[in-house]
Amino acid sequence: MTALRPIEFEILLTLAQGECHGYAIIRETEARSDGTLRLETGTLYRALRRLVAEGYAKPTSRHAADPEGHDDERRRYYAITPLGKRTAALEAARLARLVAAARSARLIPKPERP
Amino acid sequence: MNRSLPERAAALAYRALLRIYPGSFRADFARDMEETFVDRYREARSSGARAVFAFLSAAVADAVTNGLRERAHPHSFGYGMFHWMDVRYAARLLRRSPVFTLLTVVTLAGGLGLSIFTFSFLYTAMLKPLPLPAGDRIVAVQQSTPGAPFMFDVMDVAAMRPAITTLTEVGAFADADVVIGDERHRKVLAAKLAEPNIFSVTRTKPILGRAFTSEDQAVGAERVIVLSYWAWTTVFGADSTIVGRTTPLNGTFTRVIGVMPEGYGFPVAAEAWMPLGTDLLATQTPGVQFVSLYARLANDATPAQARAQLTPLLDRARRQHPPATNAPLQPASVDVLSFPMAQIGEQAPLVLAVLNLLATLILLLACINVTNLLLARANERARETAVRLALGASRGRLIVQSMWENGFICLLGGALATAIAGWGLDAINHWLQMNLPRNLAFWWVWHLDRTALLSACGFVTVTIAVLGAVVSARVVNTEFNAVLRDGTSRGGSRREGRIARALVITQVAAVTVLMFFGVMSSVVAYRVAHVDVGYDTRRLLAAALEPPRDRYPTREARAAFYERASDRLTRSASVGGVLLLAHLADPADREASARPGVASPRAYVAGVQGNLSTVGVAIRMGRAFDAGDNANGSPVAIVSEALAREHWPARSPIGERIRLAADSGITESRIVVGVASDVLMGNPFERRTALAVYVPLRQTDAPFSGVLFRHQADVASAQGDLYATLAEIDPRLLPPSVQPYEEILEKTALIARSVTKLFAMCFGFALLLAVSGTYGLMARSIGQRTREIGIRRALGATEGGLIRLLLGQGGRQLGVGVAIALPVMIAVGVGFATQFPVGYTVPIVSALGVGAAIVGVVLLATWIPTRRVLLISPREAIWRDRV
Repeated sequence: MTALRPIEFEILLTLAQGECHGYAIIRETEARSDGTLRLETGTLYRALRRLVAEGYAKPTSRHAADPEGHDDERRRYYAITPLGKRTAALEAARLARLVAAARSARLIPKPERP
Repeated sequence: MNRSLPERAAALAYRALLRIYPGSFRADFARDMEETFVDRYREARSSGARAVFAFLSAAVADAVTNGLRERAHPHSFGYGMFHWMDVRYAARLLRRSPVFTLLTVVTLAGGLGLSIFTFSFLYTAMLKPLPLPAGDRIVAVQQSTPGAPFMFDVMDVAAMRPAITTLTEVGAFADADVVIGDERHRKVLAAKLAEPNIFSVTRTKPILGRAFTSEDQAVGAERVIVLSYWAWTTVFGADSTIVGRTTPLNGTFTRVIGVMPEGYGFPVAAEAWMPLGTDLLATQTPGVQFVSLYARLANDATPAQARAQLTPLLDRARRQHPPATNAPLQPASVDVLSFPMAQIGEQAPLVLAVLNLLATLILLLACINVTNLLLARANERARETAVRLALGASRGRLIVQSMWENGFICLLGGALATAIAGWGLDAINHWLQMNLPRNLAFWWVWHLDRTALLSACGFVTVTIAVLGAVVSARVVNTEFNAVLRDGTSRGGSRREGRIARALVITQVAAVTVLMFFGVMSSVVAYRVAHVDVGYDTRRLLAAALEPPRDRYPTREARAAFYERASDRLTRSASVGGVLLLAHLADPADREASARPGVASPRAYVAGVQGNLSTVGVAIRMGRAFDAGDNANGSPVAIVSEALAREHWPARSPIGERIRLAADSGITESRIVVGVASDVLMGNPFERRTALAVYVPLRQTDAPFSGVLFRHQADVASAQGDLYATLAEIDPRLLPPSVQPYEEILEKTALIARSVTKLFAMCFGFALLLAVSGTYGLMARSIGQRTREIGIRRALGATEGGLIRLLLGQGGRQLGVGVAIALPVMIAVGVGFATQFPVGYTVPIVSALGVGAAIVGVVLLATWIPTRRVLLISPREAIWRDRV
């Protein structure tokens, strides 16, 4: 198992919400980052190739319903694997630890209580 | 989802680009990537041309970088293939053959330089955002209704304004030339009447004084003006105390309140700004006051959304008030464009596409020539390549090695091309600033900017990819067994023969289209440069008069206005002669006929007031109009000699009746009282005719009229007199723009001459590339067949038979190339024939001439190497290339 790169973690985050095709992954990732992250097609598919090779994601034959009408036979959907979920969760926990440490060091403000 | 044509084209190009990725990667992902690319392309297209450009640039860069990285993957081709030895070897090879290096670099630099120059020039002219803070959000809003002006009726603007949500900071402006200074020293400024937010919408503050406030536009407010930097320096000598002082403006003292920064001329080339009065904006009569609009796009709004919102709003606004004329209401639509696109007009995308296509064709020619040179060199080194392969070198390693040589040539060519393009942009900028000062939009400043450098990188990358692919294919297809066994350095495989033939065909097609376009453009430019307007344009000034409908509601009131204007201006000391010429109908919509019911040629019909001799039109027969030819007199007309010849050949038309029929069905009959000398009517870029009918302005109804007058001393005095005349007749009338005829013609001719020279240079270079390239390709193709020709001769083939064989093959490639070019030539020819006054003869003759020139070039390029091969004895030819 190799360490996740930020872009791979972003893709797994998207896939954790459900099966997606490439364009949907790009849109979801860009929307989540408020447009600060621009994911190019080549970067996406090279990252997907690595995720598939490592067993974190897999192409599926099932076509999930797409409200935007992009669902068609030519598109391949990708799903997160149990190994991918575990790895993404470990990465999220690692990042959470880092965020907590950054708060203790007063690098970022503490969250306001509701 | 079905793909549109542009999407299919983009997908095809992207599919080709994906070949940069290794085959295994492509097999897994290419289809998905293409689908994703098309989705994103569709999304970019909905956001406009800039978004498409940004997306395509990013997509190309992404495919190249990720494709190469993927190839550098440990399990893939290319890993560990970087060796300094290869770099040094490639550099040494190029150093060892300086002529080859120079030739390829210069050829490539010419093609690349032209492409970078054309793209950068057009980008700055049409696509670059305004050089203002957040300038990409500033838009021009225009009306595009058939038969209506681009401007909006202020009544429509007032009705639309409250409901507009896709635009913010909407403001109106109108043209208003002003004469500044007193009688001793006058200067004409191209001013804009604008709403007070004109400077805040562009986020620009004056360098001296203040911007407008809403008090400045109130009725009865003091007249104020903000000067451009140019006006401040040239009229007031950059006097820093000018702010707060008053200066005569069209004879009225006006206070200077500010000076804008250098290079600022929003909305286009304004030299001064004055507030657009609230009384003008609140006009309650339709068809009286027209304005253009500027605005900023609201947050997240796109031009398409603004257009979609404004079109129904305009439609509703137009239905709320009675129409200004009796003409049926045309469907209204609104265009929301960037100012550069609005300035170039609706032809902008076509111009952009055509000129870039031509530049790309020249780059294609350059690439073909360089490819040919590189292939010839690869052939020379075929044996070396074969030995390396036989010794175990991987083909990937050899490709990487050959790519270094290409890379060096392309980078050297690219650097030289960038320098050439930079020089060209600076030169054209300097030329335009020198020759067309005060006519250039303020954003038209050309130099080697970031876009030019980015386009250079883009063009060089594509060139490296194309040339690399061809040379790599050559290495991949080297069959070392055959090369080593035969002991020849020929790579004369069937496949290579096909490549050579395809190159010749592509070259013939590209150069045929280019030459045809070049000849046609030169003919049009020549005609425009040498246009004969048919009358004396010396010291002639032109302006447009439009009596407002609210104050001049009847035909009699308008006629009285024209008469007073004509009389008063004729008495001015600085004016030599006056003619009011109201253009009543184009040949397209008015017919002049001597015999009712008989189809007749259509003619220009103009209402005139004043002396026709002002523009050099002489009365050849009969009489000129006199005071008796008024509304109460019998309807009369003066016809041109051409029209008289047409209708009454060999007899006098005086006393005959002429029927004027409009397409609306209204006809009128007039008695011919005079025959005037011929003058060509119409725009020099369009079809012109000498068939003309003049009628007294007093006997017709013209909503607006042109005024032509000859100045005695200087332009500004005559223009000042026109303004004084109009102010005397109606102080509320906006001063019209006045244009010296000679200046207009001189500038048109200057531009046309320069365009002719520029085209001549570009197409000269293209022709040089074509001639040298075709010769090179043919020479290589025939040279490769030296042994075959030797064998044929040994077996008894005659020289004549061989010449016929080789010329026939050259002819076939020529035929296919011309056949490919033919549809494009027909489209170009029809385009020119319909857009410019060249008719169909010029395109046909040009096409035949270009065809003959191409046939000559190809046959000569075939015949010379054929002769050379035939001079070698069959015995020598058979053993040639044996090592």
